[in-house]
Amino acid sequence: MSYPKFEVIEQPAGRLRLITDEQCWLEFKPVWASPLSHPGKYLALLDGKDKEILIVNEPDELDEGTRKLLISELERRVLTAQITEIIEAQTEFGVTYWLTETSRGRKEFVTQSLQENALWLAPHQLLLIDVNGNRFEIPDTQALDPESQKKLFATV
Amino acid sequence: MALAAAEKEKSPEKILLSLTADLTESAEFGERLLEITQKSVRVCLPDGMPVQVIDLEDVASAKSESLVSGGRILATLKTGEQIPVVSYTLTHAEVFSDAAHIIDEMAKGESPFIALEQKVSRCPKCERLLPEDTTVCPRCVSRSKAMLRIAKYLVPYKKQALRLASIALVSTLMTLLPGLIMKQIIEAYENSLGESELFKWMGIWAGILFTMVVLKVLNDRLMVFLAANISADLKNATYRAIEFLRLSYFDRKPVGAIASRVSMDTDRIWHFLVDGLPFLFNNALILIGVIVILMVQNWFLAVCIIMPFPFIILISMKVWRPISNLFHRASQKVARVHMQLHESLSGIRVVKAFAREDHEYKKFIQRNTDFRDASLYADQRWITAHGTMNLVIQSGTIVTWTVGGLMLYRNQISMGEFILFNAYLGLAYGPLHWFAQINNWFSRAMAGAERIFEIMDMPREIVEGEGEQHTVQGSVEFEKVRFGYDKSNPILKEVNFKAEAGQMIGLVGHSGAGKSTTINLICRFYEPNAGRILIDGKDIQDLSLQDFRSQIGIVLQEPFLFHGTIAENIRYGRPDASIEEIMRAARAANAHDFILAKPEGYDTMVGERGVRLSGGEKQRISIARAILHDPQILIFDEATSSVDVETEKQIQEAIQRLVKGRTTFAIAHRLSTLRSADRLIVLDRGKIIEEGSHEELMAKKGDFYKLVQTQSQVNEIIGIA
Repeated sequence: MSYPKFEVIEQPAGRLRLITDEQCWLEFKPVWASPLSHPGKYLALLDGKDKEILIVNEPDELDEGTRKLLISELERRVLTAQITEIIEAQTEFGVTYWLTETSRGRKEFVTQSLQENALWLAPHQLLLIDVNGNRFEIPDTQALDPESQKKLFATV
Repeated sequence: MALAAAEKEKSPEKILLSLTADLTESAEFGERLLEITQKSVRVCLPDGMPVQVIDLEDVASAKSESLVSGGRILATLKTGEQIPVVSYTLTHAEVFSDAAHIIDEMAKGESPFIALEQKVSRCPKCERLLPEDTTVCPRCVSRSKAMLRIAKYLVPYKKQALRLASIALVSTLMTLLPGLIMKQIIEAYENSLGESELFKWMGIWAGILFTMVVLKVLNDRLMVFLAANISADLKNATYRAIEFLRLSYFDRKPVGAIASRVSMDTDRIWHFLVDGLPFLFNNALILIGVIVILMVQNWFLAVCIIMPFPFIILISMKVWRPISNLFHRASQKVARVHMQLHESLSGIRVVKAFAREDHEYKKFIQRNTDFRDASLYADQRWITAHGTMNLVIQSGTIVTWTVGGLMLYRNQISMGEFILFNAYLGLAYGPLHWFAQINNWFSRAMAGAERIFEIMDMPREIVEGEGEQHTVQGSVEFEKVRFGYDKSNPILKEVNFKAEAGQMIGLVGHSGAGKSTTINLICRFYEPNAGRILIDGKDIQDLSLQDFRSQIGIVLQEPFLFHGTIAENIRYGRPDASIEEIMRAARAANAHDFILAKPEGYDTMVGERGVRLSGGEKQRISIARAILHDPQILIFDEATSSVDVETEKQIQEAIQRLVKGRTTFAIAHRLSTLRSADRLIVLDRGKIIEEGSHEELMAKKGDFYKLVQTQSQVNEIIGIA
C-alpha cells in the first residue's frame, strides 16, 4: 500500500468527506486514472482544485465502507454506457444511426465520421463517440451476440 | 423542510423554465423535467409527477458538475447538505449548465434573465435524431435539391455543358442505328435485293461509326474540361467555407479529416458528375429509344423484353443498399489511413528523435490492413451482387429468345426483326446492368455532397459587411464574462476587468487558470457563454469581426511561419509593405542582423512551418510581423518561454519597443518579465483572485507573491536566477 491511511464518510447526506491522519477534505472527488485500459484499478482522489491527494492502485483492498462510498460516487460520476446489444446500425449519408441496448437502458444515438469517432482501444474493445460527445463502450465486441456483431462489423 | 418528497403536490406557481433531461435519478436513460419557479426547483417524471422539490430559499448555491459523458446540477443547501438535482448526458450539457447558473443566481436573491431553449435534437418530419450542429436531416433532405445544388457548379460552364449534352444526345441516338441497319441488310437478303444493297448499308454504317468516333472524342474532351473545372471550383468553395468556420470546429476535428473532405468528398461529386450523370443520361436515352423502336416493330415482343425491368430495378435496389454501406465503411477506413499518414509525417521529427519508426510503421500497417480488408470485403460483395444481377438479366435474355424464337419459327416476325430485337436486347439490358452502379455512385456522391454542404451550411465566423467598422482606441473591458470550451465546464467564471487604452496588462496564473482563454476571447476566436466584452465601450459582437481582427497583433509561444521567404512571412499581415518597411520592422524586432547574416537575407526560404530557423529566430520574425501589422491591441502568449535567456533578452527589448502606445496583454512563463506591466491580473480556476501592479502585489504577499517565490526557488534549483 503506497498511499496514506484514509477513510471516506458521508456527512452530511450526499457529501463525501475524506479523512487522513493529517487532514480532512470537505471537497474531493474520485476518478479512474485509466478507466478504459485498466478498468477497476488506479482510483485517484483529487482535491477541489483537481490536484491528486492520493491514488489507490487496487481499490479492492480498501475497507468495505470506504470502497462502497467511492464506487457509488464513481458510478454517479461516470455516465459512459456500455453497449450490450446492437438492435440497429444504419448508415446514411455519412451518418450512422444506432439503436442499442446499454447498461443504462435502451439508447438511440448518432455518430458521424466513424474514422474519428469509433476508437479501437484494444483489438476487441471499442469506444463510440456520438455527435454530442457522449461515449458508448463495447468492452468486448466478441461478447456481443452474433447479430449485433454482424451489424457492428458491417458499420465500423 | 427543503427537500420535499414525491408525494408533494405540484404547486400552481408559474414555471419560469422547463427543460427536459435525459437521465433518471439512477443514471439510466429516461426523461426527467427540470422546472424552475420563483420559489422552487422541481424535478418531475414525464407525466408531471414531481420526484424532487427543493425550496429556493433553502438553497445556498448551485452549480453544474461536469461528469464523464454528461453532467449534473448540484444544489448546496444552507445546512451544507449537497443534493444532486438532475443528471443529463452531454447532449443537454450546455443548457443545463446555464440552468444551474440561473438556480444559483435565484438562490442568491438575484433575478436572472431566463431565455434558455433546448436545441432541437430530432427531425420534426421523420423523428430521427439530427446530426451535430445542423437542423438538416440527412434522411429527409431532398436529394433532388442536393443535385440541383451540385448542378449549380455547372452554371459557369453552361455553354460547354449544353454542347456536351447535345453531342451526347446525337451520339446516343446514333447508337440505335446499327440495329436498324442490320434489319435492313437481312431483309435485303431475304428479298434478294443484291449485293449493292449490302454495300449501301455498310457504307452508311461505316459513316455512322466514323461520326460516332468523332463525337466520342469531342464528348470526352468536353467532359475532361468540365471535370477539371468543377473539381477545382468545388475544392475552392469547400476550402473557403472551412476557412471561415468557427475555431471550435477545428478543436473537434483532426486536420487530416478536414483535408479529406476537401479532397475526397469533392472528388466523389466530380466522379458522379463526369461519369455517373452522363452515363445515366446516355443510357436513359438509349432505353427510351429502344423501347419506342421495339414497340413500333412488335409490341408483344417489346413487352416481353420490358417485363423483367421492374424486377431487375427492385432487386438492384435491394442488393445495392448494403453494398453502399460497405463502400462507405471502406471510405472511413481509408480516411483513417490518411489521418495516420498525416499525423506521422507532421510529427516526423519526433518520430525520428524517439526512434519510433517501427512503431509508426506498425500503426500504419494496421490501418492499411483494416482498409484493405474493408475494401476487399466490399469489392467481393460487389462482385457477388453483380453476378446475381447478371443472372437476373441473363434470364431476361432467355425469355426474349424463347418468345422471339417461337415467333420466328411460327413466322410471326421476320428474321430481320428478330436480329433487330436481338441487337437491342444488349442495348436495353446493358444500362440496367449498371443501374445499381449508378445508384451506388449516386449514394456516394450524395454522401460526399452532404458532408461538403454540411460544412458550407455551418455557422460561419464572419459575415462580410456585418458589424460596425471601428477604429480601435484600445480599451478592453470584460463584464461578467463566463466561458467554457465545453459549456458545462466553464474555464472563465464571472471575469470582470478593464484595460485602459495603451495599458500593458500581464495575465498570471497556474496552467489552466484561464489566461489563454482570456486572450482567445479578446481575439474573438470564441464567443462568451455569458457576459460581454467591450472594446472602447462597444460590445465586441457589434463590431465587424474582420475589421476588428485586423487591428489586433498576436505573438504566440509557437510562432507559425508559412512556407515562403522571411520577407513574405513578415509582410503576412500587410501584403503591400515595402522592403524598407519590412526591414524597419525586423530591426525593431531584433531580427534584422540574423536575417542579413543568411546567404539569401530576406529572401531566405523558411521551409515548411519555418523548420530551417531556430525557435528564437522564428519568434523574432513573428514579432516583426506584429510590428509591421501595427495593431492597436497586442497580445503576447508566452512569447519568450521557448527561447534561451540571451534570445529572451533580445526579444524583450523588441517587445518593449513594440508595446508603446498600444494596449498589450501578455502571458509570460517567467513572471519577472511582466515587471513593466501597468497591471497584473492573477487568475485561478477561471476567476480573478488578485489585481494590481507588480510592486503592489509583491507587497501584498498574496497569491502572486507565492507564485514569484515558487518560481525563484525553482530557478535557483535549475540555475537560471
